[in-house]
Amino acid sequence: MGLLEGENAYWKFAGTCTQCGHCTGSCSSLVSAGMSLGDIAKAMLDAERASSTREELASAIAGNASLVQAVRGCFFCTSCKNTCFAHNDVCDLIYQARVDFQNLGLIEREAWSSVLVDEEWDIFKAYRAIYGIGYVDLQRHRAWEGHEPETDCTTAFFPGCSLAAYAPELTREIFETMDSFDGKVTLVDSCCGSSLKSAGFFDRAEKLCDRNVDEIVASGAHELVCVCPGCANDMRKALERRGADVVVRLLAGWLSERGFKPKHDLPEGPIYLAKSCQDRTGCYLDETRKVLGLADEGADCAIYSGCCGAGGAVSAFDPNRQAEQTDDKLSFAPDGATVVSMCPTCAYTYAFRLMQSPRPVTNKHYTELMFDSSFDWDKTFAQLGSMWSGEYGPWLAQVFA
Amino acid sequence: MTDAQTAAAGTVEAPVAVIGFGTAGVNAVIGMRTAGYDGPVRVYSDTSTLPYSPILTSYYAGGVKDFEQCFPWSADEIADLHVDLVQNASVTHLDPATHLITTENGETCHYGKCVISTGAHPTTVGFPAPEGYEPLVLRTLDDAERLKTALLRPSCERILVSGASMIALKCVEAALDRGVAVSLVGMNAHILDFSALPETAARFERGLSDKGVAMRFGQTIKEVRVLKGAGAAADEEKKLEVTFSGGDVEVFDEIVVAHGVRSNLGFLDEGALAIDRALLVDDFMRTSDPDVYAAGDVAQAYELVSEERRVLGIWKTAALQGAAAGAAIAAELAGRTPDAADAYPGAIMTNTIAVNGTLFISAGVSQADDGHIVELRNDDEHGMTVACIFEKEADGSRGRIVGFNVASDVDEPGGVAYDTGAMLSLRIEEACRA
Repeated sequence: MGLLEGENAYWKFAGTCTQCGHCTGSCSSLVSAGMSLGDIAKAMLDAERASSTREELASAIAGNASLVQAVRGCFFCTSCKNTCFAHNDVCDLIYQARVDFQNLGLIEREAWSSVLVDEEWDIFKAYRAIYGIGYVDLQRHRAWEGHEPETDCTTAFFPGCSLAAYAPELTREIFETMDSFDGKVTLVDSCCGSSLKSAGFFDRAEKLCDRNVDEIVASGAHELVCVCPGCANDMRKALERRGADVVVRLLAGWLSERGFKPKHDLPEGPIYLAKSCQDRTGCYLDETRKVLGLADEGADCAIYSGCCGAGGAVSAFDPNRQAEQTDDKLSFAPDGATVVSMCPTCAYTYAFRLMQSPRPVTNKHYTELMFDSSFDWDKTFAQLGSMWSGEYGPWLAQVFA
Repeated sequence: MTDAQTAAAGTVEAPVAVIGFGTAGVNAVIGMRTAGYDGPVRVYSDTSTLPYSPILTSYYAGGVKDFEQCFPWSADEIADLHVDLVQNASVTHLDPATHLITTENGETCHYGKCVISTGAHPTTVGFPAPEGYEPLVLRTLDDAERLKTALLRPSCERILVSGASMIALKCVEAALDRGVAVSLVGMNAHILDFSALPETAARFERGLSDKGVAMRFGQTIKEVRVLKGAGAAADEEKKLEVTFSGGDVEVFDEIVVAHGVRSNLGFLDEGALAIDRALLVDDFMRTSDPDVYAAGDVAQAYELVSEERRVLGIWKTAALQGAAAGAAIAAELAGRTPDAADAYPGAIMTNTIAVNGTLFISAGVSQADDGHIVELRNDDEHGMTVACIFEKEADGSRGRIVGFNVASDVDEPGGVAYDTGAMLSLRIEEACRA
């Protein structure tokens, strides 16, 4: 192997790229970089070819502003892959490039130090610790005071980082609803590791998912219910890789199968359903529409696609690009509409942008249209801010330094 | 010395030989190198250039891409593969029994493992070629050069494209890009007869018609007469009088024939290897001879929907097949069993074609019969027609998705049509692998 860990991956990608350039027009980052996906693979190999030490390689890559833009500006939304005549998978390429960037010290620490979700502390765990948010009592498969681990659970519920941190009442309401059906539910309070992958710690993300798999298997559960399509994708891959007999479902479809009906009427006015870019086959969108009663032909529901701007930790590299992307996606929804996201992180991203640049649209996650509890973004952002300025500020600064 | 001994005295020994250095051949070498084989590889190419992309030939002919942009891999990258590249050396004979390759230049090579990746050539079967005129075809860079030269000729004002396939449409696009009026004739009922349902074909045809493409379907070219001009420029000013099977007569400046392709296997004796429409291969691209592999347009490999072995003449498939062959060779030369993870995963037929802003995407089954249910959706908001093809279950209900068409009035990279096509392709693959 040469200086690049991903050398083989770049060769394989370069082998499958026709160099037609059609992918470039699908992505503002690729347009800005003036590169196609194949160009990215070739540029990495070119840099390696021209370098005899890791320092030279790091310098060569860092000095290629277009390459840095193309790699760090990627949302992993697969818009380019969808447009590619060969359907070459951008994720294979960019995740590997991020690994090499990380190995070469080309991703600054402040971009990832607070999202090392496989360590004792990350921003989500810190937030929850400071504001007293926990779910020990819902983790039937774990041992806690006065409770032995239960290994006969049927269903593992995976709320994901954002929902568990920023909507504890909603998380509990979902759990209780799931538990009201036949079977025994347990909550897996972990992360799918996507922030690790974005930072170039791919192996660590896989190991985290492997630990999640071990937990799920130990619980006895044969189905894993995720709220977020991104979590569902990552956990499905991990379960398949480990040969675990566990089926991954999205919450919407799982509830729909059990005859669940939303606990209240849908909001007035048009609903703009933001299909998650992680929903590669569109099946989760179909399930969500069905459970919300929006699957019929005449439903007042528009659907739009594309990344909300949260993917790939682009905000750490180019906050303006993320903001532009978020604005672009929100522009689909006219004033007065309710924007409904499928990923809690999308809901967070839209909420944050609407806080910065208010518009008369209502921002909801799909679970908020099904249950009584909801996110309180004003409170969440206030609490996030005060974490750093309050008594825990110095501790946070030290932990994430 | 006998003739055989004389010949043998000049024979090159190669642990690995690759015949054909296009997509499949290049990826076979990449597959070998990334799998850890760093020994000699002797590559025979019938061209004098670096490997190029047949997909880009029409863009070159149409002036959208320069000549240099037709080569996906640079000289440095090819050099990094460390192959012994023999150019301008068509292989004239391959004998699997003796492991001998013979080239047109008289070289003989005794190989340990061999990859056949010789691609395909366009056929003009069905075209009534008149004396004194050879129609244009499009496959190689030389073909593209001829097409480009023809389109750039000042006297070339109208061309006829015979065929309704992807290649035919890319020739149509090249002509439109050069500002040359273009007509199309096809024997089947509509455009993209092997890929499109009538409803989606109709939308695509409307888009072509809006761009001034004249189309005749259900017809063929019955006769072509060469009408030469007068004076010193007679040849350049020739006209072609075409009589269609329907009786109409029109005059064109050039004719492009896109009647399909045939695998390049003429260097094999009959019965040397198991052949159906092409070389039958297993999941590691091995032919009926364990030391001979095939990849690309010469290989008939596992197709996911039909679960049969078929030739899928598309770039990505050729690349994946080449890589699988390379990885298998590397493993076997190292004394290992090829890793299942490196096997060719199978593929579905996919097509994406855009002609000056009109887009068509398809995958899987494209001909619906009584065993299928077709669900059609016209999305006027996005200027798109989507047709999904499902298997019909025994009780008449809708089974798994096995194919789709998307025809769009708009070719927007990253747009709804591409998203829809990608989603549906993934659904078909998931259904096949379930």
